[in-house]
Amino acid sequence: MSLPISGVPTAVDQPAQLPGAQPGAAGPGPAARQPTTHALTRMGRAIRSNRKATVGTVLLAIFLFAALFPGLIAKDDPGADAYQPKLGISTAHLLGTTAQGQDMWAQLVWGTRNVMIIAFVVGLAATGIAVLIGVAAAYLGGLWDGSLSLLTDVLLVIPLFPLLIIIAGYAHGGGTLVLILVITVTSWSYTARQLRSQALSLRRRDFLEAAKVRGERRLYIIVVEVIPTMTSLIVAAFLTNALYAVLFASSLQFIGLGNPNTQSWGTMLYWAENEAALQTGQAMWAIAPGLCIALLGAAFALLNYAFDEIGNPALRPVRRRRRKRA
Amino acid sequence: MRRLTAIGAVVAACLLAASCSAGKGGSGSNNSSSNNAKTASSVTISNENGALWTCGFSPFNGSDTLLSVGFVYETLVYQNALQSGHTTPMLASSWKWGNGNKTLTFTIRNGVKFNNGSPMSAKDVVYTFNLIKKFPALDLTGDWAVLSSVTQSGSNQVVMTFKHPAVPAFYYIAGQTPIVPQAIWSKISNPVSFSDPNPVGTGPYKVNPCTKQNITYTANPNYWQPGLPNIKKVQYPAFTSNNTANDQLANGQAQWGSQYIPSIKSFYTAKSPNFHYWFPPTVNVSVVPNLTNPLLKNVKVRQAISYAIDREKVSSIGESGYEPPANQSGIVTPTFSSWQDHSLASKYNYGYNPTKAKQLLASAGFHPGSDGIMVNSKGQKLSFNCINIGDYSDWVASMQVVAQNLKAVGIQVTPDNLTNTDFTAALYAGKFQLAYYDQQTFGPSPYYELRNWLDSSGTAPIGKTAATNYERYINPAVDKLFTQFASSTSDSQQHSIMNQIQGVMLSQLPIIPVVQAVDWYQWDDSNLSGWPTPNNPYAQPAAYAYPDQGQVLLHLRAK
Amino acid sequence: MRFALRRLGFFVVTLWVALTLNFLLPRLMPGNPALAMLAKFHGQIGPGTLHALEVLFGVNTQQSLWSQYVTYLHHVFTLNFGPSLDFYPESVTSVIGSAIWWTLGLVGVATILAFVLGTGLGIVSAWKRGGRLDSVLPPVFVITSAIPYFWMGMVLVLIFGFTLGWLPTQGGYYVSTDSPGLNWIFFQDVLSHAVLPALALIITLIGTWILTMRNTMITTLAEDYVRMARAKGLPGRRIMLDYAARNAILPNLTGFAMSLGFVVGGAILIEYVFNYPGVGYMLLQAVQGEDYPLEQALFLLITVAVLVAILIADIATALLDPRTRTSG
Repeated sequence: MSLPISGVPTAVDQPAQLPGAQPGAAGPGPAARQPTTHALTRMGRAIRSNRKATVGTVLLAIFLFAALFPGLIAKDDPGADAYQPKLGISTAHLLGTTAQGQDMWAQLVWGTRNVMIIAFVVGLAATGIAVLIGVAAAYLGGLWDGSLSLLTDVLLVIPLFPLLIIIAGYAHGGGTLVLILVITVTSWSYTARQLRSQALSLRRRDFLEAAKVRGERRLYIIVVEVIPTMTSLIVAAFLTNALYAVLFASSLQFIGLGNPNTQSWGTMLYWAENEAALQTGQAMWAIAPGLCIALLGAAFALLNYAFDEIGNPALRPVRRRRRKRA
Repeated sequence: MRRLTAIGAVVAACLLAASCSAGKGGSGSNNSSSNNAKTASSVTISNENGALWTCGFSPFNGSDTLLSVGFVYETLVYQNALQSGHTTPMLASSWKWGNGNKTLTFTIRNGVKFNNGSPMSAKDVVYTFNLIKKFPALDLTGDWAVLSSVTQSGSNQVVMTFKHPAVPAFYYIAGQTPIVPQAIWSKISNPVSFSDPNPVGTGPYKVNPCTKQNITYTANPNYWQPGLPNIKKVQYPAFTSNNTANDQLANGQAQWGSQYIPSIKSFYTAKSPNFHYWFPPTVNVSVVPNLTNPLLKNVKVRQAISYAIDREKVSSIGESGYEPPANQSGIVTPTFSSWQDHSLASKYNYGYNPTKAKQLLASAGFHPGSDGIMVNSKGQKLSFNCINIGDYSDWVASMQVVAQNLKAVGIQVTPDNLTNTDFTAALYAGKFQLAYYDQQTFGPSPYYELRNWLDSSGTAPIGKTAATNYERYINPAVDKLFTQFASSTSDSQQHSIMNQIQGVMLSQLPIIPVVQAVDWYQWDDSNLSGWPTPNNPYAQPAAYAYPDQGQVLLHLRAK
Repeated sequence: MRFALRRLGFFVVTLWVALTLNFLLPRLMPGNPALAMLAKFHGQIGPGTLHALEVLFGVNTQQSLWSQYVTYLHHVFTLNFGPSLDFYPESVTSVIGSAIWWTLGLVGVATILAFVLGTGLGIVSAWKRGGRLDSVLPPVFVITSAIPYFWMGMVLVLIFGFTLGWLPTQGGYYVSTDSPGLNWIFFQDVLSHAVLPALALIITLIGTWILTMRNTMITTLAEDYVRMARAKGLPGRRIMLDYAARNAILPNLTGFAMSLGFVVGGAILIEYVFNYPGVGYMLLQAVQGEDYPLEQALFLLITVAVLVAILIADIATALLDPRTRTSG
């Protein structure tokens, strides 16, 4: 039971899923022909040569740095109501202070940690589930495939955000852990489907037939031959899940379903909304964290897009050649 | 495809143009305020109620009273809690206490009609009181806890007898119990569930019409005060969000606000010289210790907490400066300043003093542990959970400041932000260590609020529901003080009793007041005058205060 | 035919899962949250209604889980969702009825506009590979697709609502001055209140469709029949629209339907920022007010709406593209 799908938020799975396209014809093929280690060095080279990938990586690195070493960039305690409220931008307060007298720059920097934790944990966990279910469905086939695919498709179609809101509401808006749990459990289905499609298209490849003929067990084939071949798609899936984790989590925090005492970009927006920041000349309070979310999201999206281009040369930007006048 | 896109773009542009012109016309502030106060004889209220209107107006339904009592229904007397209980006769033209304050006789005013034209008389008053006796769910103010009978005497007198003297109950019986027509209510088979969509009362307004989004009140042609009300129409839109309600005030579409507006100066008063605000303090918002907790039982710990809190800062940061700092005597100022015993308060001198807090903790046997938290010789740490209502962002912000203040003296407080339902459940059952709360029981003297907090009749063992005394404070001597206060009518006697109660607050700290909750009130006097102001506090100014809002409407007039 | 039946079957299964999820969730949460909610409303609602709600949420009930489930399903299919607790005594169905038109209008129009404009731009950008449009659009829209919906709304509010003062920023119409109905002032007001929220939705959605359309187009343009058409000397525009776009758009149709789930999520946030009185806003209010009957009904409504849209899109795709009927 496979739906004729086409790439929705990202374009990653485009080539493999056109109806009537031959399996493996235009898939994210190139990386698949070589074993893992080469794939990684290829990735490194590809990142450097592709502009989008470079920008994305740089942004991501900046945020990672801020999450790991916030004290180096922001000296103030983000939670302390220690300053004059509603100060504007100055050398003492790079972004000014909030209506509660907290240093906004410190809040922004320290808040990065919460966001990155959510992004990475959910990204890894959801991708893990997606790989498990997607690949298992493709390889086990038959009834397993049918039921796992059904589960995936059903979860795909049920509107996620309202479901998240309801669950978070029942949980009375827990802290970060609840958010992570709830988002992981509901958001793996999209990437699971992509992974299943690619796994399906790989099934008939020669090297896998060779392994089967050799007599390797199914589990070995799956773990050692198939999954490494899908590395680029798995990485892309991780990026997609991380992106959605960031958006969902900050949205839930924004509407007040997170813990308002945590330091995070989403909770900064919650307070800014509560204190009518936009209407009272404190626009920076709302703009800064939102911009960070957008930039982090853009980093994930750019990297994803770049992977897509690396995988499918047809999508790469056409470089105009300068004709030399004779 | 291109054609479609082009068509789409043209359509979008047209819509944009049409809406821009509408937008400009509607959102200009001067434009719409004059648009609304067309003949300057209508006023629009901005009070966010959190839900759409159900168009029920039963004066005995807790959620609907603020919409009907004051507008459509009236009480026997109007008593102003902001002016030490100054009384204005309404449906009763006079009254007298007798028999050692166990009898209260009202003379009912002549010539009063209900808004359907039929006359109001003493029999309606008697009927109303006996109705709420028969159906206790209707007795919102608990009149029958102290009354033993209400009967008619003669053609226009009502005699009420009390089980025991309870003079402060006058505020509820005469000032808050709405009088309903016997002719209509006697025909209702189940008054408890009756929604009363077309309320018939003696008040200055009728409901005409009510929709989910807006209630329109129109002047009652049969109103007993001649020439009143001046304002012929009152619009009361339903707001589900604070921001929308605040917006309506800021652009002048509503003139009477009862809103919490963050950064009110830049949001509201800066927009027009006619925009004003006033927040009269009413009750205390306090840190409530669970007195059964072994560490909080120690009065020195509670004292240390009181000295450690920087109330000014909580007020300015948590409440944007709108709610002034409270004092440990529990007397709300300036509303009840005349009740405050200054010499007693200065003896204890509570105020922001972290050094003194640390000294007290040391004398109680606590020393700072390796993690900075105070610990005693038995290894018990001063580390507490404080439950709070997560929905009230200003309380969450206040609690953040309190937690930081207490951390500085070595007391660790972890805020636990709960939903309204979970919070009240935990609070009532005593399942908390510390709580942050206020009791909205406001009356003409500090008696009403303090009695709720301190009288043991309002408490219950842990696990059972306490009605008002959540900290589980039990002191029979204090109970006696409240009973004495209730039976006395002499001013000096009441003041001396209240001084003793203040002494209890100062020496035993059953609760620790932090800031003072206020009535939210904004007004726009560009076209209307007669508003209550700090110089002329003739009524509680919030649109949700009943029956005070009726008084405000009776005073308003076009400029 | 078989295809349609299969799609219908999927629809039914998903609906069943959503219903069961709705039923189980309050019961699965530690400490049934409905317990506290019902305690809060105890004094205010009649005993009959209270009992009905208790059964619905599995509180204090002697019935077995299975019989509760059957009762629940029966209620759902007779559209009896009980009273709304926030709007008591109004029933949930009548409360939703007032909000649904606002969302349909806003979300429907914005989504269609975003789809039309997005696919249009995607086609043009793919056709003119290497042109200015192509090098600017994709990166720009990759970034906009990562912008949180509600932030977009806030930025628009700041620029057009407060700084420039061109458009209103709250609500669906001016509640205190307008009388809803078929009059021009009301209509104008509704339009002016809808512009900013719609714009926020369109901006965040459009990126996706531009990109996917572009990518599909690019791959389609590499197909043999396109090359054949070019060799035959057909005019460029005709190839772009009648040959390439027509085929490239098909996968997008299904993508369009599936992305409705995301659109709904985004619409909720936008309604929140603008206090737009639609079902998304109502869902958030219901959650904040712990009005569980209303929450449940809204969730089901949203799910059913998305499912129906997908079903329609799938059937449309099947009718338009014979290939899908045979594959899978």
